[in-house]
Amino acid sequence: MSKPNGPQDDDSHQRLSSSAEAEHPLEWDESPNNRKSKSERQAISRREEKTDARKIVTGESKYTADYALHFPDLAEASILRSDIAHGYVTEIDTSDADAMDGVYAVITPDSDEVPDAMYTSAGQSYPEPSPWDLNVLRRKVRYVGDPIAAVAATDTQTANKALRAIDVTYEELDAVLDPEEAMEPDAPQIHDPDQVENIQPGADYERNIEAHTEGEIGDVDTAFEEAATRDDWFVTETEWKTPYQSHCVPEPHTTIAHRDEDNRFHLITSTQVPYHTRRQLAHLFDVPIRDIRVTKPRIGAGFGAKQSMLIEPITVALMLAADRPVKLETTRREQFYAMRFRRSARVQMRSVVTQDGAIKAFDMSAVTNAGAYGPHGLTVTSSIATKPLPLYTHTPNIRFEMKAVHTNLPIGGAIRGYGAPQGHFALEGHMDEVANKLGLDPIVLRSRNLIGNGDLDTASGVTTDGEHVRRIRSCGINDCIERGKAAIGWEDVKQPEEDHLHRACGVALTAQKSGVAGDELGAAHIRMNEDGSFILQTGAVDIGPGADTAMAQIAAEVLGVPPEDVLVQASDTDISPFDYGAYASSTTYVTGSAVKKAAEDARAQLLEFASQMLDEPVENLQARDGAVRSTQTGDSVTIEDIGYESIYGDNVRAQVMGQASHCTDESPPPFGAQFADVTVNEHTGEFEIHQLVFAVDCGVAINPDLVEGQVEGAMHMSYEFAVSAGLSFENDGTPETLGFRDYGMPTTADQPPLESILVETHEPTGPFGAKSVAEIPVNGVPPALSNAIHSAVGVRITDLPITAEKIRAKLDTD
Amino acid sequence: MWYSTNLAPRAQIGYSTGTYMVIVGHCHTMPMEIEMTLNGTERTFEAERSDSLLDVLRRNGYTGAKRGCDTGICGFCTVTVDGEPERSCIKPVATIDGTAVETIEGIGTQDDLHPIQAAFVDNAALQCGFCIPGMIMQSRSLLANNPDPTEAEIREGLAGNLCRCTGYEKIIDAVQDAAERMSGEQTVVTDGGDLTHETAGCSSQDWSRGECDE
Repeated sequence: MSKPNGPQDDDSHQRLSSSAEAEHPLEWDESPNNRKSKSERQAISRREEKTDARKIVTGESKYTADYALHFPDLAEASILRSDIAHGYVTEIDTSDADAMDGVYAVITPDSDEVPDAMYTSAGQSYPEPSPWDLNVLRRKVRYVGDPIAAVAATDTQTANKALRAIDVTYEELDAVLDPEEAMEPDAPQIHDPDQVENIQPGADYERNIEAHTEGEIGDVDTAFEEAATRDDWFVTETEWKTPYQSHCVPEPHTTIAHRDEDNRFHLITSTQVPYHTRRQLAHLFDVPIRDIRVTKPRIGAGFGAKQSMLIEPITVALMLAADRPVKLETTRREQFYAMRFRRSARVQMRSVVTQDGAIKAFDMSAVTNAGAYGPHGLTVTSSIATKPLPLYTHTPNIRFEMKAVHTNLPIGGAIRGYGAPQGHFALEGHMDEVANKLGLDPIVLRSRNLIGNGDLDTASGVTTDGEHVRRIRSCGINDCIERGKAAIGWEDVKQPEEDHLHRACGVALTAQKSGVAGDELGAAHIRMNEDGSFILQTGAVDIGPGADTAMAQIAAEVLGVPPEDVLVQASDTDISPFDYGAYASSTTYVTGSAVKKAAEDARAQLLEFASQMLDEPVENLQARDGAVRSTQTGDSVTIEDIGYESIYGDNVRAQVMGQASHCTDESPPPFGAQFADVTVNEHTGEFEIHQLVFAVDCGVAINPDLVEGQVEGAMHMSYEFAVSAGLSFENDGTPETLGFRDYGMPTTADQPPLESILVETHEPTGPFGAKSVAEIPVNGVPPALSNAIHSAVGVRITDLPITAEKIRAKLDTD
Repeated sequence: MWYSTNLAPRAQIGYSTGTYMVIVGHCHTMPMEIEMTLNGTERTFEAERSDSLLDVLRRNGYTGAKRGCDTGICGFCTVTVDGEPERSCIKPVATIDGTAVETIEGIGTQDDLHPIQAAFVDNAALQCGFCIPGMIMQSRSLLANNPDPTEAEIREGLAGNLCRCTGYEKIIDAVQDAAERMSGEQTVVTDGGDLTHETAGCSSQDWSRGECDE
């Protein structure tokens, strides 16, 4: 079961007890129809047109702000945000704003409509692991951007004018902007533990630590002690730093809140988590869940930015205060300082590796800058280790320590990759350093230690001291490496003629998960119309990638109908079955499984009708090509015939309706290999990236076009993370990066060419063999680029962004 | 291209470097009437002096143009004014009086797509779609000026229109495909239907045809 090339000489490998083997058997009780050869597939593995493509290209696709015209008495709103990094609001004078023409409501922390309750903005399942440390509007401000007051008015311009008329008096406190300084004993204390509900381990608010934990598999110290006594074991130590990154969501966070005709709260909002938002609003405003409806229209992308409840509570409070519908549309400036971000991180790696390349120990520690509040602090920071380390899960001794630390800077949140990009930069950069030290080819070193199909993975459970174990039932990482090498030209790098230019390729391997193991629920409902079409309702939140299309393809594959005959309704908490939401790379894997089961339920009913109509036993029937056919007689009835029979027939009438829920303890990792081809100028440090290639094993691709879209879009974000500067701040915490131009999001003119390669494996626990793909391609460019540059000119960049200045400075020093 | 400095490439990447008008203040008192030829039809709209063209379009139901930054940088609000692509969010509506404005709503319909729209659909060159109306309007101007652009010219021509979802790869493919469709060398099937798929050697329309991926 263990990997043939893996370190075999290790007693500690026996830690995988036979009980773990038995609890996670390789065999999976897979339904017979789950594994289809390519020629059998009708609806999946096809480049189906995205269900919303035509309305997008004609401009008819409706996003939240586009619903404004539905509300003739709509007010528009703006938020007044703190312009100091740390302090107390001692006085807010709103009298001028209140008196202004066209102003319907001005709310402050003292307004009756503004809840006092604490909450977390993290859109996580209940109870949220993130601390409840936020108020809707804040008397104590902890970063430049904390909301203090808000205005609803006839239009945005009037609201903004009213905001400028609000007079705020602060008592300013010292601010701390650096996580290391924030942990010093004399640092300003940002949170009062008595005001916060925090179930995360290790919180120490006197040192501004919101979460601190560690886990160990094997015995790391002993491995390092042994290394000190042997000249054939090598210790390597490295340190890696990453900056803030913005999601740059195209559609700024926008919410419309109104009361429906039953006087319930109805929100149309740009969210990835309609159900979590409904529950969290019910908590905040102390109304029953049933009295809130959250409608998700088309969403202008999320990437984790909208796995948060950010502006919904303020919009509801304004709606109550103004007693009319309110639209709150954030500005691009707010997007760059007052929403959520990839948290900056410092990751330290130590390893013990034998002369011939067997990894004996990893000792990893991470400190992340949580910013002013704590959403996703523990879970993201833990993922720095738990997502990449399974690549080398055979490592017998692994330790990981993490701290998430508050500063008076913008708030870290969920963002595509969820800690994995920071972790992969450290791990995969470190692996190249080890290879250099040992004189091994970087791919040979990796392959020597690599996870493989059938393995038990304990590394993903390092924070549980190895308690959490999972079985790997699909793994195409070797094929990813081989196909990626061929595409990038790994074996045949031609050097430029100029002596000062050096060309090289770099590689980084990557892994992710498919949903949160044991903490997901997807549900689906599908019913047949009399014309043989189907209406599919799921809580799956399509935020752009095409989840609705993939769900239709899965249902269509089961039912033997064309995907366009399956109409998918957008997530709406009044209409859709429950879903945890679009995060953690869960939608295809978790909700897709619910859809498949619901469609199978419907198919069983369909076959019953067909059995009566054809006078054939169900066992002889097959649903395919829009009809049900007897494999014995060859007789068939169309799905449409069955539809009419089910609704208007002379015998039993019953609408064909399937439904199912799906939850699972499984979270199979997709795997990938990122390659970068770069030429570096040794005089100037300037570099040109010729191509970025990512080969991914995401199981069976339900829709290859959509998968390629995920890979290329995520690789773009990964490239940006490698070379862009993130956010910058003045010494007092005032943000300097306030727009796309300041930020430097890559355009068509500077995005290097991207190539995506799909390596098909079959994941038996996933719908038709699918795993996730949305996040994994965002992990690899920083280490692959750092490795390529090292290979080209021998200097190592360990802190992002990778810049010509840094390369030149190191070339000069060396 | 070469990165001579840190990419936070404020000045060096594709953002155009013109100055942008910042609209400040708001005057309730003086609504005015703006006349324009909108997608071929004479229209008159009421507007405030401080309104941008985008404000007026969206307020009157033309919501295809999106508000992404309000500073003329992201390109999501791109329309054409007298044939030239403009960032409608920074175009004072007062300057529009008497002009001809085209928006995404005037380009094609779902049953009768413009070749550029069809190319975006068939190349899967869209995800969340928020940038796409602006991207298509910019592409249309690009192809009007240069019917047979190289990839480099497409990259240069679209550098003022951001997209966060696609990495631009499929968008560039779509514009190249659109150029071919519009070149007149082949019959254009404006609904993005079968012919274009046969051209691409792959059908996404007819699910029951043979495999196209393997």
